[in-house]
Amino acid sequence: MTDRIAIAGVGQTVYRRRHSDKNSAELVREAATAALEDANIGLDGIDLIVGGVAPDALAGIHNIDLLSISRPGIPYFRINTGGATGSSALLAGMTWIASGRAKAVLVVAAERMGHATTAQSIFNSIFDPIYEKDISMSTISMVALRATMLMQKYGFTSDHWAGLAARNSAVAMLNDTVDNPRFFTKDQVRSSAVLAWPIHLLEACPTSEGACAVVLMSDPNVGDRKAAWIHGTGALSDTYAMGDRFHRPEGSLVNLVTLERSAAKAYSEAGVTDPLNDLDMVEIQAPFASSEVMAYLGLGLCDGNDAVAFTERAIDGTAGIAIQPSGGPQACNPVSATALIRITEAALQIQGKAGRRQLDGIRRTISTGQGGATQFSTAVILGNERP
Amino acid sequence: MDGTEPLTIPGNWNFSYRYFAGDTATRFFSELRDNSRIMGTRNPVSGNVMVPARTFSDADYVETTEWVEVSNEGKLEAFSIVGTKFPGLPDPPFVLGYVTLDGADTAILNHVTGVDLSDIEVAAQELLKQPRVKAVFKDQREGRITDFCFEVLHDGAEK
Repeated sequence: MTDRIAIAGVGQTVYRRRHSDKNSAELVREAATAALEDANIGLDGIDLIVGGVAPDALAGIHNIDLLSISRPGIPYFRINTGGATGSSALLAGMTWIASGRAKAVLVVAAERMGHATTAQSIFNSIFDPIYEKDISMSTISMVALRATMLMQKYGFTSDHWAGLAARNSAVAMLNDTVDNPRFFTKDQVRSSAVLAWPIHLLEACPTSEGACAVVLMSDPNVGDRKAAWIHGTGALSDTYAMGDRFHRPEGSLVNLVTLERSAAKAYSEAGVTDPLNDLDMVEIQAPFASSEVMAYLGLGLCDGNDAVAFTERAIDGTAGIAIQPSGGPQACNPVSATALIRITEAALQIQGKAGRRQLDGIRRTISTGQGGATQFSTAVILGNERP
Repeated sequence: MDGTEPLTIPGNWNFSYRYFAGDTATRFFSELRDNSRIMGTRNPVSGNVMVPARTFSDADYVETTEWVEVSNEGKLEAFSIVGTKFPGLPDPPFVLGYVTLDGADTAILNHVTGVDLSDIEVAAQELLKQPRVKAVFKDQREGRITDFCFEVLHDGAEK
């Protein structure tokens, strides 16, 4: 990158099933105000606001961002790339700084799915109405299809999915942004109801609401703030059609070509040649265990031959890199915000502000975003030093 | 607040739509309905046959030029067994999966039948073997993807 850009402040609400004591604008204001305070800047210093909101139907308010995120007197636009919305919004905000149009940008991603009483039937409406929606797809069965492919291709078992889910639930107990985190064992996951085989109830991320905000700044304006610097980024789109991704030479449906290439670009910008050694931590936008495993491969943390063994080390906490110190999206997954939370968690760790979940020696991190049926991928590398 | 329960305002979205399928999907569904045939379209640059039929290939934006009938049989590539009732979706258990029909270069999604679901774990182990499947057509067809489903072929033909 030619222009150095930093995360100068972050703000989050707590994430819970329902924030029934706050309307949408109040929810957003809590995160936005916290981020502005953290960055020690007022709204009058913000040159652009980027809003991140995925499907409106989950909130039941069309263009919910217009009533909750945009602010009088400040340019505004919205980003939507499904589950990658939050990180895509951050990347969009960076372009205004990189082009010299803004010195400071406020990125706000908000999820209001607690309004919906039937989230899965709403998720069915994201599928192609001509060829696929009538086959009763949901976001859970969409993920389950890929989990079965991973089992066929690499030899994963239901134990691996349950083991990762249990591991993430244990880690999330230290995360004070997750309201009422759920703790469960591998056996409890395996004996919970089958949602869509191989996915069991306790593996699925809970309904989650909340807002996350980040203040981006250009180098000279960061001053002596303790910032997390952006060392590299990548983002790529894929075809919407899952059925078109089975037989192509660059990789099948379980090989996240978009993530692989996004990470490769970010690695090259950041000078990362050996991700396991050069990075200290990874926050993966993985709402399910199988999504996390696909990202290990896409990020080059392991290869196909080592995928099962690496996953077992990840479950044991001996993978050689800190994985999901927040507990990840399996603990809470406010869809529109979740990819921005992955970046925020990395920034907090780098700044030493992660509270009870703080780890020692986190200097360089990578955060991913995945949206649509893995149609969109993002990769963002942060570091404690000015690049 | 003073202990008052936060107020909830009720709401309901109940919009109706008609989705315009386009000429290519219209022909694909007509073939299903009238001839019980599954048709694909060929990308003249890559040679790939896309099933279900598409006007263009999403990978390279090239317009397809030729209609090709593909086999009613193929391989189950990936599946899931839905085991829980979700509002607005069918009663469980049911199976859905992506199938590559012989002669096609892409996979098509549909419901999968012909497997005993009384024990989901046992059924899953069978489906993990990627069995051959055959498209079975309904008697009353209306030009929808649900005019057929896949049935697992058990006669020793795995992969």
